[in-house]
Amino acid sequence: MTTFFLAQARFPAPEFETYRLPELVMEEAVFDSSLLRAGLLLLFLFGSGYCFYRRRSRKALLLLHLLGLAVFGFLLHACPCPVGIVQNIAEAAATGAPLPLAYLLLFTLPLLCALFCGRLFCAGACPLGALQELMPGKKFRLPPALDRFFRLGAVLVLLLVLVCTVAGIGFPLCRLDPYLPIFLRSFNHPYLWLTVVFLLLGLLLSRPFCRYICPYGVLLRLFSLLAWKKPVITTHDCINCRLCQQSCPNNAIIAPESAASPAQRKRGLRRLELLLASIPLALALGGFLGYAAAPLLYPLHRAISLEQKLQQRAEPELAVEAFEKSQQPVTELSAAADRGRRVIRTGLTLSGLLFAAWVLAELLAQARRRPEEDIHCIDQTLCLCCGRCYQACPLEKPRPSQPDRRT
Amino acid sequence: MNRRNFLQSIFAVLLAAPFALLFRRTKSALPGTLWQIDPSKCIQCGQCARACILRPSAVKCVHQYAACGYCLFCSGYYHDQRHKFDTAAENLRCPVDAIERTYIEDPYFEYKINEDKCIACGKCVKGCAEFGNGSLFLQVRHNLCKNCNQCHIAAVCPAGAFVRVPASRPYIFKHAGEAK
Repeated sequence: MTTFFLAQARFPAPEFETYRLPELVMEEAVFDSSLLRAGLLLLFLFGSGYCFYRRRSRKALLLLHLLGLAVFGFLLHACPCPVGIVQNIAEAAATGAPLPLAYLLLFTLPLLCALFCGRLFCAGACPLGALQELMPGKKFRLPPALDRFFRLGAVLVLLLVLVCTVAGIGFPLCRLDPYLPIFLRSFNHPYLWLTVVFLLLGLLLSRPFCRYICPYGVLLRLFSLLAWKKPVITTHDCINCRLCQQSCPNNAIIAPESAASPAQRKRGLRRLELLLASIPLALALGGFLGYAAAPLLYPLHRAISLEQKLQQRAEPELAVEAFEKSQQPVTELSAAADRGRRVIRTGLTLSGLLFAAWVLAELLAQARRRPEEDIHCIDQTLCLCCGRCYQACPLEKPRPSQPDRRT
Repeated sequence: MNRRNFLQSIFAVLLAAPFALLFRRTKSALPGTLWQIDPSKCIQCGQCARACILRPSAVKCVHQYAACGYCLFCSGYYHDQRHKFDTAAENLRCPVDAIERTYIEDPYFEYKINEDKCIACGKCVKGCAEFGNGSLFLQVRHNLCKNCNQCHIAAVCPAGAFVRVPASRPYIFKHAGEAK
């Protein structure tokens, strides 16, 4: 029983002879599952590590996905999940909002795991990923260039989410998450159409949300950049049959390339010079576009939009009514609005810069000297640990349960 | 240690450093937080009935009997444009007949909210606040609330009345007179 304020006592409570005031029963909060969630997450990370690195079995991974979907998705209704906790972390870091320990654990465990052995979180412990992985249908493989371009969407989402959270606009990711309505069993969710769109998209593409939207995936990509343990398609001598490459719908397998001819090399060098020369221009453009986009976010900010409504005063508005009832001084409001504008402006400018830097870094990474190995290997930053390539590789050690395909 | 391993460890330390700073913040808030309505800010706009991802909403009207005047002509119970003070639906404020009225002694009546019927439209709350004691108010009921990380009502609440409260004290009560 906490804070109080005095209700108007226009009509004093009568003094009854026999009547007793009924007890006001207010239910306690339902059990806070976030610590349990963190424990389960650790178990699932070990599980997916075992299935992916030891058993090397897609079947086992799919089973784990099913289990993860049931436990994290339907039993614990997916919220809070590490993907959404990105926002809590940003809010806590920027404004000093309280951050439960379990949230920090949920956020850090998958990242630590990525730092040591790749994106195991995406293989079983994430209910959003599991829902997409278990989608039936033939998954089309996009051309690598197009795939890389769409993947920039996730970076953009991460930056936007960070700016919105720090500016106090709220948690846009939790509001727009396309799979959350399924886990919450909410059929009057305001963004149910997004759910339908992403479910349909999931029939054609493998993990569309994970690859093109998920902001946590961007962090996992960064953390797995120099992972200690990397997935290996085959320990035998690769016969370059390209079956694994064709089996991967996520474009995470790097095919060996023949050495460039002198003419190609020259062209490549020219391109690299051009790219290096355009760095300042690209950064400036990114920063400028971010700065120019700031007014688009203004209407979402409470103080800024309220200030605008107060100035216009076209028709009585609920928010204005509430503001007048609160008797908050107007100067305070305009100070808050100014602060909001400043945060959004600097945040978006920085985001523009960072986005440009990310694009440049990806382009520059294309220009590096190719490894001389002539085998197919996995890019662990993009690999979602689905195990399809193990299944496709003809050199994969046969298991008792699988017929030996080599004979 | 080769160059790659060296770079790897530097990278790892750099990435992990911010979390060490965040760990200091966590101690203050171990049990987590819940969403609640601050009745002093609430303007009964009706969004609680519409914006919640649950239907009916996890918000319900609460009646704090200690603040109630037990009026015969309750302004939370009767509509402004009522024709008669009887229990015909056209005269009542509640659109779903969630307020149950029982006679106690002349001229007092007890008003009880039937929470299975209540849709959190806030009409009775507004009526009670305008002409009565304000003993009716809206609260998020935590046995129903899914405690979304971002509450959908909080995002649209025009009064900014949705606040995060510590899980150990999940309700914000109105209070008149002595504490109960």
